[in-house]
Amino acid sequence: MWVDIDPALYDPEVGNRIYNEYLDELEFAADCGFDAVGVNEHHSNGYGLMPSPNIIAAALSRNCPDTNIVVLGDSVALYNPPLRVAEEIAMLDAITGGRMVAGFPVGSPMDTIFAYGQNPATIRERYHEGVDLIRQAWTRDEVFSFNGKYNKLRYVNVWPRPVQQPHPPIWIPGGGSVDTWDWCAQEDLVYCYLSYFGYKAGLKTMQGFWKKVQETGKEANPFQGGFAQFIAVADTEKEAWDLYREPAEYFFNTCLHVYAGFADPPGYKTPNTVRAGVEGMVERAAREATARAEAKKSSAGGGYPKGLSFEEMVEKGYVILGNPTQVAEQVHELATTMHIGHLMTFCHFGNMNKDLVRYNTEMYATKVMPEVCDLFEDEYEDLWWPQPLAQPALRDVPEVSAS
Amino acid sequence: MTYLHGMLGNPGQHAFLNALANNGWSVTAPSLPGFTGSSEPRGLRNLHDWVVAASELIDLAGVTGHPVIASSVGAMIALELATIRPEAFDAMVLIAPFGLWDPQDPVADPFATTLSNQRRMLTADPTASASFFDDLEEMPADLLVEHGVDRYLTRSASAQLIWPIPEFGISERLHLVKNPVTLVHGAKDAIIPASYLNKWEQILPNVVGVHRVEEAGHQAEFDRPEDIAAIATSALS
Repeated sequence: MWVDIDPALYDPEVGNRIYNEYLDELEFAADCGFDAVGVNEHHSNGYGLMPSPNIIAAALSRNCPDTNIVVLGDSVALYNPPLRVAEEIAMLDAITGGRMVAGFPVGSPMDTIFAYGQNPATIRERYHEGVDLIRQAWTRDEVFSFNGKYNKLRYVNVWPRPVQQPHPPIWIPGGGSVDTWDWCAQEDLVYCYLSYFGYKAGLKTMQGFWKKVQETGKEANPFQGGFAQFIAVADTEKEAWDLYREPAEYFFNTCLHVYAGFADPPGYKTPNTVRAGVEGMVERAAREATARAEAKKSSAGGGYPKGLSFEEMVEKGYVILGNPTQVAEQVHELATTMHIGHLMTFCHFGNMNKDLVRYNTEMYATKVMPEVCDLFEDEYEDLWWPQPLAQPALRDVPEVSAS
Repeated sequence: MTYLHGMLGNPGQHAFLNALANNGWSVTAPSLPGFTGSSEPRGLRNLHDWVVAASELIDLAGVTGHPVIASSVGAMIALELATIRPEAFDAMVLIAPFGLWDPQDPVADPFATTLSNQRRMLTADPTASASFFDDLEEMPADLLVEHGVDRYLTRSASAQLIWPIPEFGISERLHLVKNPVTLVHGAKDAIIPASYLNKWEQILPNVVGVHRVEEAGHQAEFDRPEDIAAIATSALS
């Protein structure tokens, strides 16, 4: 499904439909009242089709005037030079009047090491240098030279500059590297654990991050943490089980097939992460895919292996499912146990059709979100949220005269 | 003589090095940066830096001008060093060097695979690489962890050297290698195709011997230690 997926499987007509559906779904989410809509970056990927998040963000920028846009994010080490990211996010921030969040992931091994040929032993160093370059480019008020190990620029001078000053909020999507916890804690960056495996499995990772924050002597502000969660909400619990079973099983048992050989190229993990024995999200996905493949082999002639059942997915917390009250309770549990102020909801997963995506999205926005949206707001200030202009310019295209 | 190790790192006390010693050689076997217990290769940003590090290493070890047997990534570095510093080595025995690339018969990717598969790619007999891949039963827990970290760093150093395509233009420089070269290639090398033995033979100016070794994989000296030691002894004496 990733890196070496058969190119013959791609259908351009389906591509045309799918991209427009993606944009429809994101624009619909904005209309439903989500605080932000998010886009990410993957390459050579059969279920994501999102090699350029900034292009999708640009397409959203004028059609979603009342919501924020979270690019989560640009895999900085893949841009040469990373100034391209500084420029494009600044452009988007200018177009939207300051409604951008800038996310900077290292990127998965499949995206960065295999699809884009980056060296696993140096990608983290290259990534950190790129983020440093972008931050300097946004904040220094002079033309300057940048003599990095991987980027040598005689003249750095980003035009346009971001609307938000000193720059848009920076969120760091992580997959479990202990050094990323340290870095986010030290630099006051938002740490977002983008797990496929839900809040129960993600708790240990977030606790690791908060421990690092506390070790720095800083306040554990929940808005410095983010988490991604699959959501399946319907009017009744029974309806939710019926509606979301097939899409969830399709995603986890088919789409999320990562060949184990792509999950852990040597050098991609830091020595500290190896030493700590932390299993990354991609490694886990690969391990589970391998287990499914082996089960399939061993069951040859003895029936089709089912993989993980939907009941197990819900039990393990991969998917939060239920009626609005049940989902709100679980989201509340997620937020309070993980100490999370920013929740990213996967309302579209697997082979959901656009009607079901809209239903899930609207149900969450109208019946769950009001129950949880003000969590933490009385106690903590969100220092990592967009600060748009009070009176931003908006789309202003006159009707074409009939004459 | 000097032994420059390959992807499996410096094996320390090993049948191959013992066989060389039994043949009368005094063997110096340095670890390249990042491999097998050396420090991390911080500051090394490209192949040029690695070659300079190797040059400094042989000087510090006092083995400049000695004959060399070099394997895999070590053979690639030895060849690069010989192009710019002919006096670095005397005669050379090269086991399956990286450095060439034929799009019609590409080098296999040793990293897009699981650890157990990589092990099967490095030697014909997976048990031949036990010193690298296997933990000793009597190791205490903390040493087990560090052994795992060391193994990971050694694999990372290989990746840093040859990712994603191990071709850095050496074919344009090989005319500068005047040293007599003996080529060795494991018949069961699962990483570098058999056709590359002939390619090296044609492109190197002073090939004095070519050996295709049966029942040997990419790091042939691990599969057939006594036989490779005998070839080296014959070639370098």
